[in-house]
Amino acid sequence: MKKVLFTGLVVGLGAIVACQAPASKAEQKAEKPAKKMSKEEKFRAALAKQDKYQKACSNEKQLIPEGISIEQFKKDMLATIKYPEGGVVGDWKKGEKLFGDPKKGGKGLGNCYACHCGDPSIIACGNIGPSLTGYGKSGADPKVTYQRIYNPWSVNPCSAMFRFGVHGILSPEQIAHITAFLHDPNSPINK
Amino acid sequence: MKSKKFLIGLALVGGVAVGFSADVPTPDQVKQLKEMGILPSDVIVDEGNDYFHNLKGPNGKTCASCHGQDGAKLVGAYAKMPRYYKDIDKVADIDIRIKACMTKYMGFPKDKKFKKKFTKKYRVPLAGYVATLSNGMKINVTLDDPQEKEMYEFGKKLWYQRVGGRDLSCAICHEVYAGYRIRLQKLGAPVRDKLYAHWPAYRFSKDKLWTMEDRIRGCYKSYFLYLGKKWDKKKDWVKKPPYYMKELVALELFMKKAANGATVEVPGLLR
Ligand code: HEC
Ligand code: HEC
Ligand code: HEC
Repeated sequence: MKKVLFTGLVVGLGAIVACQAPASKAEQKAEKPAKKMSKEEKFRAALAKQDKYQKACSNEKQLIPEGISIEQFKKDMLATIKYPEGGVVGDWKKGEKLFGDPKKGGKGLGNCYACHCGDPSIIACGNIGPSLTGYGKSGADPKVTYQRIYNPWSVNPCSAMFRFGVHGILSPEQIAHITAFLHDPNSPINK
Repeated sequence: MKSKKFLIGLALVGGVAVGFSADVPTPDQVKQLKEMGILPSDVIVDEGNDYFHNLKGPNGKTCASCHGQDGAKLVGAYAKMPRYYKDIDKVADIDIRIKACMTKYMGFPKDKKFKKKFTKKYRVPLAGYVATLSNGMKINVTLDDPQEKEMYEFGKKLWYQRVGGRDLSCAICHEVYAGYRIRLQKLGAPVRDKLYAHWPAYRFSKDKLWTMEDRIRGCYKSYFLYLGKKWDKKKDWVKKPPYYMKELVALELFMKKAANGATVEVPGLLR
């Protein structure tokens, strides 16, 4: 019974689609320019995507927003943060791979070693951010750690550390795994 | 030319500069290579010298027909570039200026095919050669023309612009965190330290001579500019600004002006 109905639906839909073909083609054409942008247009469109907060940080000081109070800036940034259902502390072993997989020379989706040292066995680490070795022993609140990875600008407006969660580079679950990696006493960060 | 490249290979295998694949050779090693007359950057500049004098356009002209034997009339020109040119009514960097001369004055076609050939084949050797004609001279970019002023301001804006999926700007890496490391890579300060003086530069890690256009395009790639709503490296990645874009010239003008007073010493030798 269901099958018959379904077939009928498909045939029916097919007919509708066929009838509408000219119209939808025209629509497609109207949409196309967005997809078929030249490289110049793509580049300029990417630059033009600058958001209000990036703009506030685009001054000669770079690390202090202009045209908006620091309190308001932080408040707005805090409001962007989404939390995972399972809580802000996930599985540290998964977090290790995301932070930078020791098996891949410390490379990973988060690529945190570009700016931070952490696991002392990874020597190829940057120093733009502070060393995170022993971070879990510092008594930081895991929720704050989560927040400052999801959106570092909620703690330090205009920080060089990018807004991983806001841009969707890392999902809430992934950020929770990294938070675990930073806090778990068994993680090489804290050993 | 080929035999020279072969020689470099031999020299490297032979241990003149052992183990510099990831590093600039030591001054001693450079001296040795120089004495042997086989510094890889020199080979590319020689190629440019050859084009300058012998490459004929469809109308029979060579660069030397207008700019003199050994580029006599271009001595010091690079130290003042980018600048405004009346004949093409725009502010041009060295890459754009040479391309314009070839299409406007030598009869090369203004089509995509030639543009590609120019970009891949002629651009770097010719730019490298012309730049060496200013060696030993002081960089002196003036902003006399209103178009130059406007371009400079645009470059400054781009330098400080926090943008893209990584919220970065040129200034974050090259001003605020100059001297720090991204992984093991040290961040230079092109503006503060007048680094433009050694561009175009030869990069040992890539075995290529790069003009500043190449360098800026490379750094824009590390910005991770993206277009989609969500991070999708494959789909929404804006890889590099294409060559000859106004944005590149603007950043060049901004950085070169900052390098005023520094002595041109090209091609530089970098990692
Ligand atoms: C572009 C460089 C950069 C990258 C990449 C980066 N960070 Fe940071 N990070 C910083 C800087 C700069 C600070 C200090 C300023 C601040 O707090 O924002 C910092 C601060 C931190 C802090 C607070 C440290 C403390 O002592 O309070 C944590 C935790 C942290 N980063 C975690 C991470 C993690 C996890 C990643 C990878 C997902 C990462 N960072 C990637 C630059 C970076
Ligand atoms: C038919 C003559 C002609 C030929 C051939 C020619 N150019 Fe030019 N070139 C010009 C003119 C005209 C200008 C603009 C001069 C000005 O406005 O100061 C110019 C400007 C330049 C400049 C900038 C000079 C400055 O003072 O800033 C460079 C560099 C240059 N040409 C390189 C080349 C190269 C390399 C070639 C060969 C690929 C070439 N030109 C071929 C006519 C020519
Ligand atoms: C994420 C950090 C980062 C950003 C952002 C960045 N760069 Fe770079 N840049 C680098 C690194 C790293 C190097 C050195 C590369 C190497 O040695 O291979 C470099 C090299 C350079 C150099 C050559 C310095 C020298 O030694 O002569 C210039 C010039 C430069 N960048 C300009 C820019 C400009 C202009 C922008 C903005 C469009 C920019 N960079 C953005 C990281 C960055």
